[in-house]
Amino acid sequence: MADPAATPPVVEALHIDHAAIAYDAEPVLTGVTGRVHAGEVVALIGPNGAGKSTLIKAVLGLVPVVGGTVTVLGRTPAAARRDVAYVPQADILDPQFPVSVAQVVLMGRYREVGWLRRPGRDDRRIAAEALAQVGLAERARATFGTLSGGQRQRVLLARAIAQRPRLLLLDEPFNGVDLVSQDALLGALRGLKRQGTAVLISTHDLALAQHVSDHACLLNRRMFGFGPTGATLTPDLLRATYGNQALELHGDQIVVAHH
Amino acid sequence: MHATLVEPFAVPFMARALTELLLLAGLAGVVSTHVLTRRLGFVADAMTHTVFPGIVLGFLTAGVDGVLPGALAAAAVTAVLLTLLTRSRRVTDDTALAVLLAAMFAVGVVLVSRRASYTADLTSFLFGRLLTVTTGQIAQTAVVAGLVLITLALLHKELLLRAFDPQAAAAMGYRIWLLDLVLNLAVALVVVAAAQSVGTILVIALLVVPAATGRLISDRIAPITLAGVAVAALSGYLGLAISYRASVSHGLRLAGGATVVLTLVAVYLLTLLAGGLARAVQSRRTSDAVA
Repeated sequence: MADPAATPPVVEALHIDHAAIAYDAEPVLTGVTGRVHAGEVVALIGPNGAGKSTLIKAVLGLVPVVGGTVTVLGRTPAAARRDVAYVPQADILDPQFPVSVAQVVLMGRYREVGWLRRPGRDDRRIAAEALAQVGLAERARATFGTLSGGQRQRVLLARAIAQRPRLLLLDEPFNGVDLVSQDALLGALRGLKRQGTAVLISTHDLALAQHVSDHACLLNRRMFGFGPTGATLTPDLLRATYGNQALELHGDQIVVAHH
Repeated sequence: MHATLVEPFAVPFMARALTELLLLAGLAGVVSTHVLTRRLGFVADAMTHTVFPGIVLGFLTAGVDGVLPGALAAAAVTAVLLTLLTRSRRVTDDTALAVLLAAMFAVGVVLVSRRASYTADLTSFLFGRLLTVTTGQIAQTAVVAGLVLITLALLHKELLLRAFDPQAAAAMGYRIWLLDLVLNLAVALVVVAAAQSVGTILVIALLVVPAATGRLISDRIAPITLAGVAVAALSGYLGLAISYRASVSHGLRLAGGATVVLTLVAVYLLTLLAGGLARAVQSRRTSDAVA
């Protein structure tokens, strides 16, 4: 047997092949095909209810794939969870919860620390570095709920960074986020990209998607397109994806008017 | 002061009652923190209703010795059922649960009502007999408290993550239902441990008020837990002393368990009031400084 460390196999971070995803009998999302490689940022674009969150949950192995395949780092989604980090929307979390910012980031180390054991000095150092990467080192002792929405989102990204994932999944990270926090999030994501982390971001902000992603995946109950961002976020494909919802084109900017 | 706060506990039955309450305070102070962070008030309330028929059945089949096994069996069944029910996203129907709880409770009452000593038995099952606690019961409480506290300490970080962010916990690969089952069992065991001394009804106060009081003075888990244990212990001690003094010196019979619960609630309200006053003073100072 060859030493696997000597010649690391080139494994795609994510390989989705004609996947259909369903909570119950009726599929929520069908016909999804695409690949994400190390160091690539892919934006999941689509209206509310398009199935973006569902696709992310399928990649996490939390929602069944009923047709086709979803392969994460060469494994099944459930078997790859240790190398995958997930950033939920900050506003679903209880702002009254009695926990400090540092404690939240440290949660990213729990899986690595393992059952029955407490996080050690190294774990605290890794968590502190992750918090610095999102520009919130000085807020470590603050209560999580006292931070602004954008800052909370950054703390959750720091928690994911502390997991040291190879694939990072973010669910609408820019929703209701102020410009300072948006810049901090984008900066941290660029850092992760440089380190070779593959990133999947769901968003309905087309301008941000164009800014941040290498590839875009258009979804609305099924896949309408997947490819380089510039070639995929075209008026025709966007109109097909969004259906009746009005699209306005301002020069190179595309605005989706929600109704 | 000495006569009220120290002397009563020279009497053996009072010393036993105090020991039992201090054990329960340690147990409930910690478990109530989890009840607070997981918002398990409803689950805790459900336990108090469903453990009751288990106690009655145990007593009817094996006398006093059957109480603990009966309560344990009922608690285990309830913990599993509640974990399953709350796991399924489709059961959002509180009505079904409420009907189940009321039915379980009624089963207990019907079973007791067939006995000649109906009223006395019902009262002791519902409200406990704090002053007749035996050394054997204290030992049982100690074992239960030890088991629960060690388990919760070992699973502390996982339970914290699950309470704070269940989606992320699931994404990391933690089995949410398993963590929920452990915590539901812990809550059930507190109800079981407290059933004979404080009773199945009043134990809900022990499961909710200590950490709620701690939450008023801190926004970190560890201080909330410590404050919860301290508040529960202090209330147990004061409540017992008050009920003893009232009955010995003033001929006023105050039920021990209920007096303890009232003391606990009084401490909570005083803390709430003190916190409000402190904030008022602080904002007054701030506005003075600005002016």
